[in-house]
Amino acid sequence: MKRRDFLWLLGVVSGSTVMSACGSPNRSAKFTSYLLPPEEGVVPGEARFHPSTCTECPAGCGVLARVREGRPVKLEGIPGHPVSDGGLCVRGQSSLYRLYHPERLRGPMLRDGKTFRSIPWEEAFTRVSETLKSSREKGRKNLFLSCRTTGTLSRVADAACERLEIGRLPEYEVYSHSAVKEANALLFGERDVPHYRIEEADFLLTVGADLLETYVTPVAYTRKISTAQAGGDFLWYHVEPHMSLTGGNADRRFTVTPGRERLLLSFLLREVATRKAAQNGFPREILAALPPATAESVARDTGIPPESVKEVADRFLAAKRPLVIAGGIATESPGGVGTAAAAALIQYAVGAFPGRVDFAGRENYRNVGTLRDMEELSARMGRGEAGVVFLFRTNPVFSLPARLGFRENMKKAQLTVAMGEFLDETVREADLVLPLSHSLESWGDVEPRRGVMSLLQPVLPPLHDTLSDGDALLGLLGSASGKGPAGGYRDLLAAAWRKRLGEAGKAQFLEKGFVEEMLPKRPVSLDGRRAADTLRSSTSAEEVRKPVLFLVPSIRTFDGRSRILPLLSEIPDPLTTITYGPWISVSKETAARAGLRDRDEVTVASGDWKAVLPVKVQPGLPGEVFVVYRDAIPAPPIRTDPRTGGPVDTIEGVRITKTGKTIAIPILSGSFSQQGRGLIPDPVHLEEERRQKRWTLYPEHAHMEYQWAMAVDLGRCNGCAACVAACHIENNVPVVGKRDHLKGREMSWLRIEPFYEKGEVDFLPMLCQQCHYAPCETVCPVFAAYHNPEGLNVQVYKRCVGTRYCSNNCPYKVRRFNWWQHRWPEPMDRMLNPDVPAREVGVMEKCTFCIQRIRGGKDKAKDEGRKVRDGEFTTACAQSCPTGALTFGNILDKESKVYRLAHSERAYRVFETLGTVPSIHYLRGGKT
Amino acid sequence: MKKTLVSIAVLGYFGVSVLLAGGLWYLWYRTDPAPVQPIAFPHTIHAGRLQLHCTYCHIFADRARSAGAPPLEKCMGCHKTIATEREEIRKLTHHYEEKRPVQWVRVYALPDFIYFTHKRHVKAGVECAMCHGDVAGMKRVRRVNELIMGWCVSCHRVRGAPRDCATCHK
Repeated sequence: MKRRDFLWLLGVVSGSTVMSACGSPNRSAKFTSYLLPPEEGVVPGEARFHPSTCTECPAGCGVLARVREGRPVKLEGIPGHPVSDGGLCVRGQSSLYRLYHPERLRGPMLRDGKTFRSIPWEEAFTRVSETLKSSREKGRKNLFLSCRTTGTLSRVADAACERLEIGRLPEYEVYSHSAVKEANALLFGERDVPHYRIEEADFLLTVGADLLETYVTPVAYTRKISTAQAGGDFLWYHVEPHMSLTGGNADRRFTVTPGRERLLLSFLLREVATRKAAQNGFPREILAALPPATAESVARDTGIPPESVKEVADRFLAAKRPLVIAGGIATESPGGVGTAAAAALIQYAVGAFPGRVDFAGRENYRNVGTLRDMEELSARMGRGEAGVVFLFRTNPVFSLPARLGFRENMKKAQLTVAMGEFLDETVREADLVLPLSHSLESWGDVEPRRGVMSLLQPVLPPLHDTLSDGDALLGLLGSASGKGPAGGYRDLLAAAWRKRLGEAGKAQFLEKGFVEEMLPKRPVSLDGRRAADTLRSSTSAEEVRKPVLFLVPSIRTFDGRSRILPLLSEIPDPLTTITYGPWISVSKETAARAGLRDRDEVTVASGDWKAVLPVKVQPGLPGEVFVVYRDAIPAPPIRTDPRTGGPVDTIEGVRITKTGKTIAIPILSGSFSQQGRGLIPDPVHLEEERRQKRWTLYPEHAHMEYQWAMAVDLGRCNGCAACVAACHIENNVPVVGKRDHLKGREMSWLRIEPFYEKGEVDFLPMLCQQCHYAPCETVCPVFAAYHNPEGLNVQVYKRCVGTRYCSNNCPYKVRRFNWWQHRWPEPMDRMLNPDVPAREVGVMEKCTFCIQRIRGGKDKAKDEGRKVRDGEFTTACAQSCPTGALTFGNILDKESKVYRLAHSERAYRVFETLGTVPSIHYLRGGKT
Repeated sequence: MKKTLVSIAVLGYFGVSVLLAGGLWYLWYRTDPAPVQPIAFPHTIHAGRLQLHCTYCHIFADRARSAGAPPLEKCMGCHKTIATEREEIRKLTHHYEEKRPVQWVRVYALPDFIYFTHKRHVKAGVECAMCHGDVAGMKRVRRVNELIMGWCVSCHRVRGAPRDCATCHK
């Protein structure tokens, strides 16, 4: 091209760029006045916090909804709540996406051939009441199936079903803990999961139970373990047949041959019963029922080295307050009830009841049924016995094995009424769809465990034409019986609370969001004979044939219910850093033998079930053991345990065949090895670095009033990624999707890096280090990145022109570029935090240490004429962390927690040799 | 001849671009400085003749980020009985009775990425008129300055207020 032509072209292009500019967003912007002045204490533009409860999983963590302009924009755990105590997990933080999801059901719908048509609520209720009557006349039975319900809703559902002569079926939960409940029922007459006071233990042995991820009440367990660890003399050993996040974080982890956990526990029980003086009158018949075993024979059968078997037994016996918890995959195996029974007997033998294992505060799983109950339901429907079948907040078509034929049998019911929030697999098959409000739009109460009642209150009016759970049931009742209770569900609740708590108690409940009753500890009585029988019948070597596939819940989606939330697909899985797409975890042994590499496509088959999945090699997985998360497999081929009726989540004798193709899945981690850089847990050259004198060309920064810093305790961080979700939502970080992730373009400001060394995994949270000598600041051509007087590395979005040199120069790779103009589909745009601007395309962004919170904190302090106090506010990530691994504060304040931690002997900084002088101090793993 | 023609064409092209850019800024980006409001509220009477202080109606000016428009109840406090025959008062009363808030047209609008707090400025002793002009003398509120960054920074410099970018850029 000739130079002249080039210059001409340049001119035309620049001229046309001017003309293509879009309109100003502020054109005749309107603002609305109030009609009446806002009530006392309400200041427009300031956030209000209202307590409610998270309902993303059954754990029932109390949350404070941060409300701006009449809608919630962030959820935070309620400090002091008996379940969450200020923390909130990755799913809980992401549950705002559920509230504002564009695909939520917007109104009642009636089946119209293959699709649905919208109908008004009255018509829906009338149709239901008419069909209830007609099916009764035809001699069919009306049935009500729900998820686990507690509190007033459970009682209202019972009452409504009784009044309308509807059979209330056992509640359906994918993770029903059937084996644990069965064992406890046989041994102690308590068919429930007890409350575990882990914080009082000094030695915890977990067998299979994924306490940190999804088991019963993960935030509470995570908190309890942290509390116990802070005490100083706490040790935690974990035994599992596969590899989990929970196992990766225990002090010691042992892999056991699948199905043989029971043998280890039987051995431990024998040791406890013989070596420790007989406590609680331990029945002799139980000892007699145990198979003879030595450490060597147990080692042979379980695959755990004999020294380790002895170590576990010795430590357990030496502990003053030991605790063993068996659950999860260990009890969802063949012979799971034996494993659970052995664990329960060990608890009994060491006197853990009722202090550390307490049925008084049981986890309210009594009304949850088993897989066998669902088989019966499906069979009943198949026989044409069902009239109206209500499916309340449950998705059996997705989670039940295909052999139950639930989907086909549903069609044989006279009328299926699905009540839920989305058009999921089950709702799609129903005849009538009644949309329910999100818990943040509803009044209610939940009882996550006995003795705790947590408030549900609406923090915004319903976004769509939906009814709250209670109002929907009352509406059905009113329509079908001709008269319902006067007033809605809210009045019913108010009356119930007033009756239970008194007027003053009710007011306090509404203000705090929870109430906790100190229940007297409940001692247990052991049925020795039944215990002996249970043990004896489990001694037949129920072997699990390898190769075995474990179907486990995932920390990101639980039983699959949270997979619809886009943020949870965006946040990487902690162990593998895979974001979008299912995968199958394969051991290094098997991969080496079969020549499998990451992303290789394989067919996984068992019987006539088949799935096609990409491979991910997972260090720590024993050979011939495979793991797939539950959300990846709709209608999985799982068996029913004949003894408990519960699911057997182990699929034996699977055939894995390479297809030769690959499936592109985003694996965000650059490397699972630290490449000798010593990032964590013990940075190499640390002493060397400390002794080196740094020579710099740059003048030192002067920080007068505040210098913000953060301390990350690697001993506490367990990789759960709750902080990542909190950051996303607080800072309006967009979800970029699979295509960008495949290019390695993640958007999350904070990432958890797993590093595998010597068979162990450690997690390093990596975020902008707010370096004092930041490599990014010097290379920005427009001075958009600079060091502010308070120690932060500030990114001014409006100055940024998108050179991306800063990201290039950053050694920590924490800068994120907006490759696209991200749009938030309605109503998700209401989720945006108004304190944080939405960035445009072409602008670089990164962690700001939640500068909007710093600003708010300083503003409040200035109103009161003082400086900011330590702990007065904190960043979103630090706030959400259930273990308290992140600490934020002013390091100039010598009394602050961050000062103390940063000057502890465990403190170091990542890449100190580069001379960036980061503001984030990492604390080496070890005792806190 | 051809050369001059080409030069004129090029110059003309760039001239037109400059005019277009300027026109775009002035006409497209710049909103009407004195927009017509749904109710023709005269500050001359209220702030001028009656000498009501700004914060009598704009109650949140020293308490919140946005000064806001007064709730209609405040207006009705007087106008339930005063000047009820006027057209504008009738409009106001209809709004209040029909529970329809008034959608005022913004005169001063800062972009979404700017954090501005009235509270800190009022508490620092900045008079309303310093930024908003002589509102008491305006029959229809008129914008007296475009709130350009340089203008804000100059005052911050003079008064010793923070000039850190993060102070205002969210």
